[in-house]
Amino acid sequence: MSTALSPATLLYVLIGVTIVLVATIVIRPSLTATRGGKQLAFVVLFLLPVVVASMGASEHMERSKQTQFCLSCHVMDPYGRSLHIDDAMYVPAAHFQNARIPRDEACYTCHTDYVMYGSILAKVRGMRHVYVQYLGTIPKPIQLYSPYNNRECLHCHAGARSFEEGVVHTADPSIMASIKANQLSCLTSGCHENVHAVAHLSELKFWEPK
Amino acid sequence: MTMAALMERRLRISGMLIVLGLLVEALSLIRIHPLAFLGFMFVGGGFLIAGIAMYLYSLVSITAPPEVK
Repeated sequence: MSTALSPATLLYVLIGVTIVLVATIVIRPSLTATRGGKQLAFVVLFLLPVVVASMGASEHMERSKQTQFCLSCHVMDPYGRSLHIDDAMYVPAAHFQNARIPRDEACYTCHTDYVMYGSILAKVRGMRHVYVQYLGTIPKPIQLYSPYNNRECLHCHAGARSFEEGVVHTADPSIMASIKANQLSCLTSGCHENVHAVAHLSELKFWEPK
Repeated sequence: MTMAALMERRLRISGMLIVLGLLVEALSLIRIHPLAFLGFMFVGGGFLIAGIAMYLYSLVSITAPPEVK
């Protein structure tokens, strides 16, 4: 049985310890009169809070990748429901149901940008989403900021036999080059065009996990 | 108010701000929700930065009295 602490538990412990130490200085600030007390104050009032804040930021960044995080806004409910469409032609549903992507990070896996600082950019966009959710006007229908980039598909599929040797992908040498250059969209070129289909959910059957 | 008393007062305020920030951070970890993230970033982070800044300011702004020879 593993006894390793989870990052969140470790963070809670560290927060608790820091609060106790800071409270000690708040109650007895005269402790800092000595040289040792000054060093303690520096650790407790500067180093520990910085470490705890950094760990907290890291934990929140990890949590913000979770499917549960994205679906916590009601406006995303149909998109979450579309992951359960009982039809393998629907790309997100097929990926989710067959565990081709981590189910607990389904949205993030396909919708982050696989470029330098892609995660940071995704978080900045997320902040804008929160603003729109609570203070702005939610566009109908919700649309991507830019056309879906093949780069996000190729992050996993490039090099995979099913992709590299796929009959359609290799039918003409120019096709593969166009796909990899993002000139021929995986989604909108007519090959894998069935995605979330939130406007038609009422007409579709759904998979119920056992 | 003596320098020592002023220093202690600032340390108290700094400590209380940091404790508030840490409590907000602990609370924000209870739920996985965008508002928890924002609370952590802006409310908890704000208290923490204010507390740390107050502590650092107290270090540089309060000078010890000159030693008597």
